[in-house]
Amino acid sequence: MASVHDMGGSPGGHIDRGQHEVEDWERLADAINAALGGRGLQTTDEHRRAIESLEDYRDLSYYERWVAATEKLLIEKEILTADEIDERAAEIERRWGGP
Amino acid sequence: MSDHHPHEETTMSPYAARIRAIEGLLLEKGVLTEPEVQDSIAYMEARSPANGARLVARAWVDEDFEELLLSDAKAAASQLGMEPEHPAEFVVVKNTPGVHNLIVCTLCSCYPRAVLGRPPDWYKSFAYRSRAVREPRAVMREFGFEPPEDVEVVVHDSTADVRYMVLPMRPSGTEDLGEEELASLVTRDSLVGVNVPRL
Amino acid sequence: MTFEPGDRVRVLPSAKPGHVRTPGYLKGKSGWIEYMIGEFPNPEELAYGHSGLPERPLYKVGFLQPDLWDDYEGHAEDYLYADVYEHWLEPGEGGTK
Repeated sequence: MASVHDMGGSPGGHIDRGQHEVEDWERLADAINAALGGRGLQTTDEHRRAIESLEDYRDLSYYERWVAATEKLLIEKEILTADEIDERAAEIERRWGGP
Repeated sequence: MSDHHPHEETTMSPYAARIRAIEGLLLEKGVLTEPEVQDSIAYMEARSPANGARLVARAWVDEDFEELLLSDAKAAASQLGMEPEHPAEFVVVKNTPGVHNLIVCTLCSCYPRAVLGRPPDWYKSFAYRSRAVREPRAVMREFGFEPPEDVEVVVHDSTADVRYMVLPMRPSGTEDLGEEELASLVTRDSLVGVNVPRL
Repeated sequence: MTFEPGDRVRVLPSAKPGHVRTPGYLKGKSGWIEYMIGEFPNPEELAYGHSGLPERPLYKVGFLQPDLWDDYEGHAEDYLYADVYEHWLEPGEGGTK
């Protein structure tokens, strides 16, 4: 059975030609990915493999998949831990969200 | 996995906080430096379809450059001051009176980012990735383009280490236009092949 | 390199698990070698942190669209290229452009 990412020839609907404004966090996702690659800490192939393995592949946007995959690899390579990412993300959301 | 923090008031993705968290942690631990991250952001911002348009316009006015673009696109891009992909290959495919090319990456969204910058959202969409290989003519029709009757459509699925760009045909009636004006006719969509440049 | 431009080839119908860059829609299909692109480390192994060496030959392989899709609506002479690694190819009897 083909993986969900392997979608050539699958039924597809109308192509939405709208373009969303690239957000800063998406620029950052690109940049972190490239910088990690530049440091030899991850390859394009590892990143693709991590994206393809995401259970919610179909539900996430393009850059959401990128971030989820980068996170997965950093944890796998023991560069960061899931707990510290969770903690920091929660702190950031608290700062942004307000009371 | 962390608890999901839904934001009813905003449309901010929960992944925004996650990548900021990752950035902060990586910088604190010295895995990456601030200048590195900034340079990386600047790198992508500096790239755009205008680069592709310049390559095409030069090829339209200079036969030798066209030959170089088709045989060694990286060398051609470097000649115009661009920094093409590495280590992936960069290949330009030419539209002719008999052949119209269309580029897709069904498995992810490979695209010559080092030259053209980020691909458009539609290129990354599941609909495009699914349909471009199987019904390229219907896809092009959605973009308002139908090749003439005797033209074959050739799809390139960028499945491996090559990034592709289309060299469209120069529109008729442009004999008097200079290189810069020609470049302004070359749309990003025509570099992927879902459309063609028009006067 | 095993294959020459013009050789007819068939894509292995392998259900190999893990990260592969051969799309499902090409498996078991027949076409022709357009040219050899070069040799690259194997992405199937790079994906798991291995070196991917020795490098593997990568080919630009052409397929007639009607050979890929029973319901193909375009011209019978339309074709498609994909970049396929040598270890996914065997000699075949496909059509050619």
